[in-house]
Amino acid sequence: MTTSPSPIAPPAPRERMLHVVQGEYAVVSEPGVVLTTILGSCVATCMWDPVAEVGGMNHFLLPGDASNGGESLKYGVNSMELLINGMLQRGAVRRRMQAKLFGGARVVPGLSDVGAQNAAFALDFLRLECIPCVGQSLGGDQARRIRFWPATGRVAQMLVETTETILEVERKRPAAAIRPQDPAAGSVELF
Amino acid sequence: MGKTVLTIDDSRMMREMLLMVLQGAGFNVVQAEDGKQGLDALSRTNPDVIITDINMPVMDGYGFIENARMDARYRSTPILVLSTESSPEKKQRARQAGATGWIVKPFQAESLLEVVRRVSA
Repeated sequence: MTTSPSPIAPPAPRERMLHVVQGEYAVVSEPGVVLTTILGSCVATCMWDPVAEVGGMNHFLLPGDASNGGESLKYGVNSMELLINGMLQRGAVRRRMQAKLFGGARVVPGLSDVGAQNAAFALDFLRLECIPCVGQSLGGDQARRIRFWPATGRVAQMLVETTETILEVERKRPAAAIRPQDPAAGSVELF
Repeated sequence: MGKTVLTIDDSRMMREMLLMVLQGAGFNVVQAEDGKQGLDALSRTNPDVIITDINMPVMDGYGFIENARMDARYRSTPILVLSTESSPEKKQRARQAGATGWIVKPFQAESLLEVVRRVSA
């Protein structure tokens, strides 16, 4: 079941667009910043605290396939945790957080439905962590362009033509684990 | 009887992942959601190793480590930080609080088990 976010409109004057690419996240507490991204099979979590007016977006893709279970999940969990921790550090309170989910499409017929896996993980994560998912637009076979206003939780979505650029990204999705954002990830240090 | 690991993390999914890895390797696992619950669990279970997150509500990881180390019973219990953070400043703060080591998320199961076995030997 999908929601129907408002169609994309030109950015208002004095709004600054910040694009979030695959594998990254951004957290914002300044007014006038709009987070944007383009999604194929990836999922973006738009999360915000309406009281603190702090919000952020991640853009993740579980690496590999469903058969490696926990190996894939930990990267998804890490992406979510980076987003949540970033918001906490800017004054958000966990029990006030809300989220909306977008993406998880199957834009390349014939490839495994990784979009569905990404979407299922995100929904499970929010449910387990007791963060309400108050809106979503997941699945389908079209790419999405979304804009997220972190202070209010407003999202505008446009379904877009699946361009060659998007197809190329989808086909090149690595079978092995994606390198985490932090090169220190997984490191162990004894003091 | 296997050794006991106390895991402290506000993320339920992270706690479940740690449970899977540690139980699968024969450890008994006790869980807590924040530093305060961690201190309560500490006194009830006397674990062999503690793994704690840093960013948690109610009481964060630094608070847990400092309070745990104030109790003579737990002054030498290994405490490993498991965090998305990796900055030298945060590690130094944990070291000064009394942490034994630092693991950056996402963790590698074998690396985690190796260090848990090493510090609990």
